[in-house]
Amino acid sequence: MEKILQKKSFPKWVEKLDAYEIYSPVKKDNTWSYEIINTPGDIELDYPNAVQAPKKIINPQREVVLEFGRSDDDSLEVTEVLPEEKSVVIFGVRPCDAKALTLTDLVFSGDIKDNYYGKRRKQTAIIGLACNTPPSPNCFCTSVDGSPHSEDGFDILLTDLGDRYFVKSLTNKGNNLINLGKGLFVAPKANEKKEIAKIHADAEKKLKRQVNDAEKIPPKLKEMFESPFWDEESMSCLRCGICTYLCPTCHCFDISDEVTSVAPFKGYRIRTWDNCQFPDFTMHSSGHNPRPDKASRLRQRIMHKYQYFVECYDHYQCTGCGRCVSKCPVGIDIIEVLNKVRDYG
Amino acid sequence: MVKLEDLKKEATQILKSGKVKYIIGYAKGAAGFMPIPAFISDPEDAENLTWNPACVHNLTKFIVDEKKRLKKEKKPDNRPIGIIVKGCDSRAINVLLQEKYIDRDDVYLLGVSCEKTGVVDEKKLAKTLKGQRVVQIDFEDNGNFLVTTESGSEKIPAEDVLAERCIECKANFPVVFDIVFGEKIKRQVDKPFQSVETIEALSQKDRWKFWKEQLDKCIRCYACRSVCPMCYCDECVVDTISFAVEPDTSAEEKAQKIKWIEKSPNLSENIVYHLTRAMHLAGRCIDCGECERVCPLDIPIRFLNKKMEKDAKNFFDYEVGFDPDQPSLVSSFKDEDPEDFIR
Repeated sequence: MEKILQKKSFPKWVEKLDAYEIYSPVKKDNTWSYEIINTPGDIELDYPNAVQAPKKIINPQREVVLEFGRSDDDSLEVTEVLPEEKSVVIFGVRPCDAKALTLTDLVFSGDIKDNYYGKRRKQTAIIGLACNTPPSPNCFCTSVDGSPHSEDGFDILLTDLGDRYFVKSLTNKGNNLINLGKGLFVAPKANEKKEIAKIHADAEKKLKRQVNDAEKIPPKLKEMFESPFWDEESMSCLRCGICTYLCPTCHCFDISDEVTSVAPFKGYRIRTWDNCQFPDFTMHSSGHNPRPDKASRLRQRIMHKYQYFVECYDHYQCTGCGRCVSKCPVGIDIIEVLNKVRDYG
Repeated sequence: MVKLEDLKKEATQILKSGKVKYIIGYAKGAAGFMPIPAFISDPEDAENLTWNPACVHNLTKFIVDEKKRLKKEKKPDNRPIGIIVKGCDSRAINVLLQEKYIDRDDVYLLGVSCEKTGVVDEKKLAKTLKGQRVVQIDFEDNGNFLVTTESGSEKIPAEDVLAERCIECKANFPVVFDIVFGEKIKRQVDKPFQSVETIEALSQKDRWKFWKEQLDKCIRCYACRSVCPMCYCDECVVDTISFAVEPDTSAEEKAQKIKWIEKSPNLSENIVYHLTRAMHLAGRCIDCGECERVCPLDIPIRFLNKKMEKDAKNFFDYEVGFDPDQPSLVSSFKDEDPEDFIR
């Protein structure tokens, strides 16, 4: 379904979505983040991209999976905790971040179904915003099978046409949301469709960074496990977790028990994001650590995204959002690393 | 002004003569104008060195890696490593010497003077330039920076875009070095704690609200810890498991790792993490400001450390990193030390 929505009608549409919990990019201090908004006026779609991808909503950094405690008769009680059932809409999602969700779907909603992720994913509608100009100087989505107007993972994709949005619904969820705003949407004219095609084509040309011939990378990596390359590339790595925690596709987690009260005894089993760049990620109880240094951990990050994931799912586990490049404290640049890998040897 | 050619010449020479094993300096990065740390062992690569107001990183952090590597080497090459140090970075060297983490012979220090200015705050620069992309930034005479953007060059008064730490800096010239580049220029700092005083001026209620909002944002990526030259412990209180585990550590010992801080990135745990770090840096932080710079969520971590610094100065007349032989703040006692805060 393709429609046109005047920008001045946009708040009226959002008002009709009052049954939903609505997230939108919001500027807090100096950074953009996805937050729950209370009035349509709080939605801000003229923005670059949020520091944290909307993965933090679908796959939150901390999730309670069980509650445990001793009851009055001293028996141990364990209760499963599932995500609260509600309908959620996220506005302003960039194509790279929506595509990232489709990649995480392969892991959490494939052969093994993760109830927590699955439930949240199902009850959330993703409304995207095509990138007419690259939101980051380090965007490289077109190098990893993406595009600034990719539709993957969206229920609705909006494209900014100045005073109006071109609205494309891609799923039933999206159709339902548009139907709630009946009367606000009109059919696009032929020239508007042309305009869209041009905006989308121009957007692709505006990307400044590229990894050419990325398809050569996975087979190359396969030969590079023991290469001294990783030592060289990781020299300046600080072993922090910025690259992975900000990555829209990284999804590794840890499970731990947190006791909140000793008497009466109770607590939670929680699932939190984990990070392959931390030394405790692979530490064995024996004291042996199969990834003992930062070289092996940088290798893991690259291998997982451009070799193992490709082998398992036939997709790169990277959508070219550029966050890890922009935010790395020492300028480790995955685009450069990939270019070097491609040309290595 | 620091002459980059002189710096390159010295670097080439000490690499050629084998005086240093390698040099840690700054080089041009692939993305944008921010330089990246460079590890140079081939004298010919000294040509890649750069020095400009975007050389923000405190390179002394990499001493930790070097020590780790040395431990693993069968025949360790104990020659010093060359490090380019700004004034603030050189204070870190003094603390590492004071704490006996390094010997003076472990490092060959190529000091660079920040003279009248310092390093740039990327966010302030972006604001000043209203979104224009910076290609290059250079020192200019008279306290200006020369900024080259995609649409041309312009002179910007450094004070408009200087990092906060540089505005309050007491060491614009290295305090310890083997060779130094640039001039020693006396710079008056009238209000060394003005930034933290804006927070102190808030009511207790407002301060609590401020910190609650700020620390609630933390995602515990530990970049602040990772970038800190003083965070060199093998095992940190926030680590979930014991890194001191050896093949012969008993199960009992392993089980006894105390969980000081839970993995949940919620407000209470985040506060414990950040306050623990601040306390561990009391009398040790040299205000290189790297923790705050690297924070992806823009948490003003530097306020916490600056408060510790201010208290150390006011209560104990203690300043960090100017004298490697002074007894450390927390392990020394003087008769005149105040006690009125002990209740």
